[in-house]
Formats: sequence, C-alpha cells, structure tokens
Amino acid sequence: MNPKRLLSITRAGIMEALHFRLGIFVTLFANLIYLVLVYYLWKAIYASSGSDVVNGMSFTDTMIYLILATALFNFLEMFVVWDMSRSIQSGKIVLDLLKPMRFRKYTFWSYTGNHVVQFVLTFIPTFIVVMIVTKGAIPMGLNLLWFIIATVMALLINYNIEMMVAPICLFTESTWGINIVKETIVLLLSGASIPLAFFPEKARLIVSYLPFRAVYDIPLSILLGKSGSDTWSGLINLFALQCAWLIVLTIAGNLFWNHAVKKITVNGG
Amino acid sequence: MEKRGLRFYADIYRKILVQDLKSKMSYRADFVISTFGMIMTNLSGFVTFMILFHNFPTINGWDYYHMLFLYGFSLVALTPVQCFFDNNWNLRFMVQSGDFIKYCFRPVNVFFYFMSEVFDVKGLGQLAFGIGTIVFAWIKIGIPVTALVILKLILFLVTASLFMIAIMNFAAATCFWIKGSGYVMVIMFRFKDFAKYPSSIFQGVFKVIFTFIIPIAFIAYYPSLVILTPDDVPVLSWIAPLFGLVFFYLSYKFWMLGVRKYDFTGS
Repeated sequence: MNPKRLLSITRAGIMEALHFRLGIFVTLFANLIYLVLVYYLWKAIYASSGSDVVNGMSFTDTMIYLILATALFNFLEMFVVWDMSRSIQSGKIVLDLLKPMRFRKYTFWSYTGNHVVQFVLTFIPTFIVVMIVTKGAIPMGLNLLWFIIATVMALLINYNIEMMVAPICLFTESTWGINIVKETIVLLLSGASIPLAFFPEKARLIVSYLPFRAVYDIPLSILLGKSGSDTWSGLINLFALQCAWLIVLTIAGNLFWNHAVKKITVNGG
Repeated sequence: MEKRGLRFYADIYRKILVQDLKSKMSYRADFVISTFGMIMTNLSGFVTFMILFHNFPTINGWDYYHMLFLYGFSLVALTPVQCFFDNNWNLRFMVQSGDFIKYCFRPVNVFFYFMSEVFDVKGLGQLAFGIGTIVFAWIKIGIPVTALVILKLILFLVTASLFMIAIMNFAAATCFWIKGSGYVMVIMFRFKDFAKYPSSIFQGVFKVIFTFIIPIAFIAYYPSLVILTPDDVPVLSWIAPLFGLVFFYLSYKFWMLGVRKYDFTGS
C-alpha cells in the first residue's frame, strides 16, 4: 500500500481532530488540574511515610509517573469499542468494510490523525509543565528517544487490545460493560492507577509478564530510567517484551476479527 | 394549568422506571456484563487502596480504617448520581442529533422527564459495596451505634450525594454550548476518584478551588467528619447540607438555561 495514501487518511484525521479545538484545551487544562491533585496527594503520602524513597520511587518519580500516565491515557484513548458499536448500530460499518483497504488497517490509520494532534497539543505541553514543576527531574538524553519508540509500540499494543475487545460487543450487545471491564483491567495492571513498583512482590512478578504493562509502565519506566532500563540489557529486555506482545496480539487480533466479521448483522443503514 | 405535586411526579417516575427496566431486561447479557464491570471498577479501586496502604501506614494522619470509612462513604454518596442521573451521559448525543426536542414537547419538567428515563441498576452493586465498607470500618473504629448517629450519617450521605449530582449536571449541560463536550464529563467523573482522600492535603488556593469551585472535598471528607470526629467538627461540615442544596439548585438552573438556549438541529 502506498504510504502517501495512508498519510492522507492521517491528514483527514488531523483536520477532524482540530475541528474540536476546545476539547483539546479542556483536556490540557484537566491534565494540569490532575497534576495539582496528584501533587498534593502524594506529597501528603510521602510526608506521612517519613522516608524519601519507597520501593525505589521518590516523590518526584511517582508524580512524573502518574501524571504522564494520565497524559498518555488521554493520548492513547481510542474509543474503538464505542465507535465500532455505534457504526454497527447505524450500519455505517458496511461502508468501511467495503473500502478497498483492510478494515483493521483502515481503522488504525483513521485514528492516527487524532493521535498526532493529541500528542502535540496535550502531551507535549503537559510534559513541559511537569518538567518545570519538578525543576527538570526528568533525565534528558537518549532515554527520550527510547521513550518515543516505546510509546509508539504502546500505541500499537493498545490498538490491538482495543481490536480484540471491540468485536466482543458484536456477540454480547454490551458496549459500556465490555469497555469498563477492559478499561479497569488495563488501568490497574498497566500501572496507570498506581505505579507497578508499589505492588506486592508476587503480584508484581505476575503483572510484569502481562501485555498491559507494555502500554503505560514500560514507556514511563524507560523515561525515568527505572526497571533496569538504564542498562543496555535491561532496555533490550523491555523492548523484547513489548515486541513479543505486539506480535502475539496482532496475530490473535487478526484471527479473532476475521472470525467475528462474519457474524456482523446490520439492520438497515 | 394546576401545579403538580410531588405525588404526580412520583407516579410518573414509577411508570417510566418500569418501562426502562423492562427494556433493559431484554438485553440480559448486557445487564450481567455491566453489573460485573461495575463490581470490577469498585474492586480495582479497593485493590489500589490496599496497595497504597501496603506501602504507607498512614496518609496525613489518617489510618487505614478511617480511610476505609471515607472510601465507603464516598462510594455510597456517589450511588445516586449513578442510579438516577445516568442519562446525563446521553445528553450530548441527543442534543447533537436533535432527538432532544422530544423532551421539550411534554407537559412535565424537562429536567425531570429527561433524568427519569434512565435508572441505572448497576449503581446498586456499588451501594452494597459501599455500605459493606462503611459497616466494616465502623466496627473496627468502634463508633457507638445510636439512632442519632445513624440519622446524621443518612442526612450527610444525602448531602454529599448532591454535590456529585450537581457537578455532573454542570458538566453535562456544557454540551448545549460546546460541540463535542464529552471530555468535560469524563474529566469531572475522574475527579471523583480523589473524593476518597482527606481534603486536608490541599493547601492555599487549591484548597479553595477543591472546596468551593469543584467541590470534591464535600463528596466525602467534610460530611464524614461529622461521624468520624464528633467532638471537633468544622463549620464547613455543618453548612454542607445548605451548601449542597444551593449547589444543586444552581446546576439545575444552568441545565435549564441550556435547554432554553438549545436551538434545534432540525433533523
């Protein structure tokens, strides 16, 4: 497939996303309020604990981790589940299936525009504010490059998780329920609710091999130089885990989707 | 037209509720999965809580059981908004598609009619979870059980619930002015996660903001102090019921202002 054609889908997505400019500012503003909440909460928590470093995480580390996890969440959020169930209900999905392009590919590229806009207009400003508030506590160097690579991988993994979950709605007629189960599991086990470093030993061991970690914990750990990512072997381990899950989820997602698409019944449209 | 009493509205509510439940029952799988999802979110909140206390013994002078009480309190206080005002989430789609107009043509209060259309059964799981947590913490802390304390608890739970309802009304009503305002609701809904922490952690200008502008401090902290520290209750706790009513009334007025401003998309 001609990359130029794919990019034109991205461009359409960018234009569509820019149409809702106010929403972007609201998201950014909310990220900043969230920053304040996280700041005060964890300041109080660390003040009560009496030690500066708990489980290898200092107050600043925790704060950066949680705020950027929220910013990443807003940036990675795709609403595939919602959009798909709505387009099944309205019948629009037939038009997308008829397009001269594989459906999974088309869906992915149609979201990229929004990702680009969200990254530039909400994630980067939040990142800069975090840098200012923590007085430059985020290490600046090669880790930024690895972080961006890990984030792109996270985006692909997240998309595959979404595409695994969305077809379940075809069978169950439940969108809210499926989506909330998915979101809860992903947010808890990926470290977006509370850093994985705080999990009890055994739980952490199990969680560290699950795919959810690859979405939030790995990019953020790489950014902060935690989980052994400051050595080459540690870094390669983390990337290998991401790659392995990406491959497994892509294959599984493809098989599942090819099976599910035969089940779609559209009433009218 | 004569003035309709509470009885008239209660009667209508019951009739609409029965229809809503009937239509929900026809999607049984959805009902089961949604209930399961609701329990999952509560469990996940609980697990986060356990992990936090696994690492830190106290938060700002609050020990495990007091925090647990606060957590249970916030869950119960958040139930009414989940059960009775869930239709707020559909508002923006209805406004955008033009379906909202049907509410304006009925001879009943638009706000009432709109909200009565959906009763969210899933919220009941949260209610049970919250009550269980409160009872457990109550026993562990050893708060005396008297009729007066129970009465206070109920009064302040109702008070606390008004704040979240008002916040969501405000957030939902923004869709009358802003296109694609779903973000506002999602964000406001996420702030409720901070209701379960003692608001004494905030300082300076943010203390004012989270008390009076985005009043998450009133969802659990101030009302629950009436039960937890009966000898030392701040004034803000006592005026919470009044403040809650005012806040709710304002949100209602804002919502209705949006309805009046609403110009039909004409489809």
